[in-house]
Amino acid sequence: MGYIWRNAMGKRILITDDALFMRVTLKNILTKQGYEIAGEATNGRESVELYQSTKPDLVTMDITMPEMDGISAVKEIRKIDSNACIIMCTAMGQKTMVMDAIAAGAKDFIVKPFQPEKVLDAVKKQIG
Amino acid sequence: MKVEYINPFVVAAFNVIESVLGEQPSKGQLSMRPLTFTSQQCNLMTGVVGSIEGQVIYGMSLTAADKIASTMIGQPVRTFDQLAASAIAELGNMITGNAVTLLSEQGWVCDITPPSIIRGTNVKINMLNIPALVVPVCLSQGTIELTVSLRERGG
Repeated sequence: MGYIWRNAMGKRILITDDALFMRVTLKNILTKQGYEIAGEATNGRESVELYQSTKPDLVTMDITMPEMDGISAVKEIRKIDSNACIIMCTAMGQKTMVMDAIAAGAKDFIVKPFQPEKVLDAVKKQIG
Repeated sequence: MKVEYINPFVVAAFNVIESVLGEQPSKGQLSMRPLTFTSQQCNLMTGVVGSIEGQVIYGMSLTAADKIASTMIGQPVRTFDQLAASAIAELGNMITGNAVTLLSEQGWVCDITPPSIIRGTNVKINMLNIPALVVPVCLSQGTIELTVSLRERGG
């Protein structure tokens, strides 16, 4: 299971990626800029559960994950909160994948490997 | 296996390695793999499913895996722990993901499966009935052997 950090200050972000390395990398990029980590999910199902319990300002979402993939998780989260702000962060950059993610309700799409600035620009664009 | 399937993996490997590890690798000699071969010490396996299906294996020595993970994490890897394994897995995941994106631009729409790592010596890998091509990608940290075993679905 992922774990939850609670802090009333600042914008809170839920990171979703099955790769520990990628969760650590994203956490370092985001916390250095003052964002708080609402939680870390290792698959889509965990992300949906953590979204409900932590109510983050933004979610980063991988696509290829065990148990529930990222696009299914986006659909589930949008059912809970139609205003949910979700950014896809995945190694899969083909058009159909981007279109499926945007159609599911994702606000942006970042292809790995990424530079930190790319992630921060996308996050700032959504939640400041 | 069609040779054109391997080019996107070589292009993706070069792009991802340059971005993640900050160095321009060089390409070794392309060769065929026998259906059964002895693996490297550290093997990252990713699956491809869709209009093309099969396996892609990234093989390297334990020393190379430690060095690559150290560069990715930004600090020396003393034991090959979960974070180091995850870094190596993510490298393969990014290469396969980027390669599949390039394949989709050529009309082959595929998805990838989550990666897994097999470590050990004298491990025999059998690619069953899909012939494999191998390309060594040479880095300062060591060589990564890309073993690509793909075929058209139903082919």
